[in-house]
Amino acid sequence: MKTNPKLIGQSVPRLDAPQKVTGQAIYTDDIKLPGMLYCKMLTSPLPHARIKRIDVSKARALPGVKDVIIGEDTPKVKYGNWRLVPESQDELPLAVDKVRFVGDEVAAVAALDPEIAEKAISLIEVEYEELPALYTVEDSIADGAPLIHEESKGNVSLVRKINYGDVDGSFASAHYVREDTFRVHAVQHAYMEPCASIAAPDEGGRVTLWTSTQTPYIVQCLLASTLGIPENHVRVMKVAVGGGFGGKMELRPWEFCCAFMALRTGRPVKFLWSRKEDLSFGRRRHGMTLYSKIAFAKDGKLIAKDFQVLLDGGAYNAMGPTATFLCGTFGNMAYRLPAYRYFGRHVYTNKPPASAMRGFGAPQAYFAMESQFSMAAEEMGFDPIDLRIINAMEEGDVIPEVATVSTCGFKESLEKVRELSGWDEKRKNRQPGHGLGISAYSFISGGVFNWFNTKYNFSAAEVRVYDDGTAHLFSMACDIGQGPDTVLRQILAADLGLSIDKVRLTAMDTAQTPKADLGSWGSRVTLMNGNAILEATKKIKEMLIPVLFAEFDLNQIQDLAFEDDHIFVKSNPKKRMSFAQAVYKALRGRRGEPLVAQGYYTPRNKGLVSPAFSFGAQVAEVTVDQDTGLVKVDKIYTAHDCGVPINKKAVEGQLEGAIQMGLGYTLSEQFVMKDGRTLNSTFLDYKVPTALDMPPSESVEVETYEPEGPFGAKEAGEGLAIPTAAAIGHAVYEATGYRCKDLPITPEKVLRGLGKLK
Amino acid sequence: MSLAHFEVHQPTSLAQALDLLSAHRADARVLCGGTDLVPKLKAGVIAIGHLISLKRVPELDHVSFSPDQGLVIGGAARLSDVAEAPGVAENYPGLAHACSVMATTQIRHMGTVAGNIANAAPSGDTAAPLLVHDAVINVVGPGGRRSIPLADFFAGPGASVLDSLEIIETITAPAPQKPCGSQYLRLSARSLVDIAAVGVAALIALDGAGRVNRCRLAMAAVAPTPRRCPEAEALLEGKTPDAGLIAAAAQALSAASCPIDDVRSSAAYRQQMVGVLARRALEHSLKLAQGGAQ
Amino acid sequence: MAKQNIELIVNGDRYTVAVDPWRTLAEVLREELNLTGTKVGCNQGDCGACTVIMDGRSVSSCLTLAVEAHQRQITTIEGLAPSRTQLHPIQEAFVEAQAVQCGFCTSGMIMSAKNLLDHNPHPTEEEIRAGLSGNLCRCTGYVKIVEAIDLAAKKLDPAGAKEA
Repeated sequence: MKTNPKLIGQSVPRLDAPQKVTGQAIYTDDIKLPGMLYCKMLTSPLPHARIKRIDVSKARALPGVKDVIIGEDTPKVKYGNWRLVPESQDELPLAVDKVRFVGDEVAAVAALDPEIAEKAISLIEVEYEELPALYTVEDSIADGAPLIHEESKGNVSLVRKINYGDVDGSFASAHYVREDTFRVHAVQHAYMEPCASIAAPDEGGRVTLWTSTQTPYIVQCLLASTLGIPENHVRVMKVAVGGGFGGKMELRPWEFCCAFMALRTGRPVKFLWSRKEDLSFGRRRHGMTLYSKIAFAKDGKLIAKDFQVLLDGGAYNAMGPTATFLCGTFGNMAYRLPAYRYFGRHVYTNKPPASAMRGFGAPQAYFAMESQFSMAAEEMGFDPIDLRIINAMEEGDVIPEVATVSTCGFKESLEKVRELSGWDEKRKNRQPGHGLGISAYSFISGGVFNWFNTKYNFSAAEVRVYDDGTAHLFSMACDIGQGPDTVLRQILAADLGLSIDKVRLTAMDTAQTPKADLGSWGSRVTLMNGNAILEATKKIKEMLIPVLFAEFDLNQIQDLAFEDDHIFVKSNPKKRMSFAQAVYKALRGRRGEPLVAQGYYTPRNKGLVSPAFSFGAQVAEVTVDQDTGLVKVDKIYTAHDCGVPINKKAVEGQLEGAIQMGLGYTLSEQFVMKDGRTLNSTFLDYKVPTALDMPPSESVEVETYEPEGPFGAKEAGEGLAIPTAAAIGHAVYEATGYRCKDLPITPEKVLRGLGKLK
Repeated sequence: MSLAHFEVHQPTSLAQALDLLSAHRADARVLCGGTDLVPKLKAGVIAIGHLISLKRVPELDHVSFSPDQGLVIGGAARLSDVAEAPGVAENYPGLAHACSVMATTQIRHMGTVAGNIANAAPSGDTAAPLLVHDAVINVVGPGGRRSIPLADFFAGPGASVLDSLEIIETITAPAPQKPCGSQYLRLSARSLVDIAAVGVAALIALDGAGRVNRCRLAMAAVAPTPRRCPEAEALLEGKTPDAGLIAAAAQALSAASCPIDDVRSSAAYRQQMVGVLARRALEHSLKLAQGGAQ
Repeated sequence: MAKQNIELIVNGDRYTVAVDPWRTLAEVLREELNLTGTKVGCNQGDCGACTVIMDGRSVSSCLTLAVEAHQRQITTIEGLAPSRTQLHPIQEAFVEAQAVQCGFCTSGMIMSAKNLLDHNPHPTEEEIRAGLSGNLCRCTGYVKIVEAIDLAAKKLDPAGAKEA
């Protein structure tokens, strides 16, 4: 393993923490601008209807109302993150002709205060012609089902197929075959900061937007196209973002409406979504129906898989196409699989659009695969961990049609979690009502795909250094809580040998930071932005190295080190100069031209999906109350390979948060829907786990050095959110004999599954 | 969503509060902790012109226990005050439990027991543990004072026999006759920040011969109102308790429940859980009574 | 309906404001007093982000009417640090334990932690978890928040000074 600078792996306290613990960090709704108006939106009360007439005259006449807009007032440009496939862009900021879910945005108002805006919304009259609505994927793809989007026959908006190897032949000759259908439900990100944005008009028809987003660049581009103005006329600005988890990575209607009305009224316009609206209408993780057939040889080797998935996309594509694509890829990522067929369909229903959510198709795909592995292991007489080890990917393995796995700590993770959890011992001494379950995962460190069709590199960094010994990093990377504002400075400081407090950051400002950055999703930021920074710091070093060579009259073969705010000759550390002094001399030598360098990163020659893959395994230990069906998770054990952690506590924080999300996904979070309406739209009834619900947890990191990652790093953000559901599901089976194939595992299902509910 | 418009009155005596209520009559409502009312006002479920806050009425802000007087909870006593008051955890463990786990810490610092009862929510957490202690609601209004047994207080979901011009002055419960044991159990998919999907309270008092001379069983969230079940209680009263009798009483309570399907649970599951919780609460209460723990 | 003149005592500062009776304390703190450190995550009393301390106890400021806070002692996140350059021990502990990610729950978490430690200076882990259970967090799994409060209890104890 390579030796890293000492700052790498250190748990540098988050640089934004002092602002956040004192209440000084500014989130979007904290901003007030002079002359600011307040925006409210009218949404559809019906799941599927034609708009026959909208009358805004009463709203417009209300004193204090400054603007009222409906779809017909706007440029009517459809948008979506898959710009490469224009027909996938199916959404309008405000509905025209039709509404497709309860919550579809129909009109917007800007007024002097929120109450007037709300009153004006109530005065807008809309006449609808109700259309038959569809609530399940099965109903949507049935023959003769009404079409939610006229262009999408059979209500299928996107299909992805993978097919390699002799799938049918392998099934025919297999020692063991099983097929199962799994149903997983929609859940929500439940980021703590509600969606909000403020748009301010700027000179020359330009607009500045502060918005709670994880993709400022994407918002900039799509806002420009929907407004019909040049991209450079839109500036998306830094704010603190209170979590995203995939729910804030698209242009949203209020961002458009604020900007559009700001340009029309010449005044700033602010919008704040209520939690009730967010829980009722907000983006969700895809519910899916997953059919999976897998075959094993006698020695336990997986030989074929047929995987057919229907994704419940809700009313619009949102990030559904990417989830459809990735779900298939996750179907053959962790294990060697010689023959694989995937058929994924993204299906419209009249429900809130599903989109990206931490794991992006993986929690669902792995729930199916990992549940099947545990079932197969039992029936074939293998220990469930052994069966996984037999099939685990290794370094150098090729994921067919995807990529070569350059680093892989998968087998080690499985062995470590076996040891950590006391697996063998506890399985020997099983207690009734008590069980252990295992699940594993592999995930991507950012995507290679470019459906957004950016013409820029995926990540960019600009580094400026000054003769006071400081550096300034410009990056469009977006800190939504996961920590890049700290970790990226750590990478920069480590490479230039600066103390971290010497590094200033300007982040997430599309008018100032270099183009581009695709945003905080797909577990891409550390690897991609880290690489961009390292390219820039390399150029900075090249500007400083000649200064030392000249100063000390160094031999061509000598090498320099950057450490402790100094630069010195490696073989003779006495020959040294402070970083500040070196920059001063370089500046003089350049006759005043500042030391500035840009670096970029786009994964190339890295296959179809990702430049690097994380791996891990998790064991859940549960106790099930046999009378009530309540599942108590006693402990979670995790071993995972995220390459070299740049900031250890930040990685731990990702794991700990992922367990909370996984626990909620598995046991307590779900939407209760009736006729397209969400009935549980408060945190009282949408049950995010509390501090009292969280089980204790232990973890180990299996370090690998990923050559494609900065200082050997890979992803640690999303992969960890994958395994919990199948691990708990398996543990519940071991404890009770009830095998859950449809999440969430509610007490009621457990009792019913055991035949104990009368 | 911003709140509908109303005026807030903050009387500093009970007499003032009653006068204000009478003055605004149908357009007024008592504000105790506000933890239930304010969300309803925000949701537009309730529109009202005048809120009469009881938070600054000193006569109502007290909790006490004595063997003679039993438990006296003032109309403005907060849930956290009741949970922590001397004598409550020892003598009314179910009530202390309800007052220390329901909702959130912040809400328990604001919300009142009287408010929780006056709301008459089927799922109110304090009702079942108060029912098993034969609590009485003492109200004061323009016509004077009257006392209503809690068992007769609720009239339906969100409805009670409390007149709109009346204020709950105290909630009282006699000191439990000893030896005695009681417990309140609630079930929900999450520990806290939650509403119980099922709540059951039990109380058993024994005579010198070890026979049950008083049994109380009450349930919440599984009927239009929190309620007792005399038929189930009668199965144990006068008997020497054993597992069979406890199971029969639990079954009777379950049979007497009439839960609905809602976002929190299904009716079938709830009904069965009434039996499970009742059995557990009775077993625990009996153990306490037999151990003389109270 | 006329606005009511009320006096709010926030972090030791006295503010006289005319407020509509239907305004919540959270609204008035944020909109009138420009104390935006108090966050509103659900506006329903379920998430705890808006927690402030009123007369020594944690309350949800989104469920408290501002007029009811008249002349009561209120502490918000902005009032904890003893000076511009120094953090309160609980704040310090949150930074050191890396208990902060997105930060949106942080103000409320810290106020709940203060309420807990004011009433129970040596909480067990279970008591810490119970003390935080009215505050939702989606980033941290609460692990480092619990650690931070344990650390804060230790920081506050040796000096014997409970109050900042």
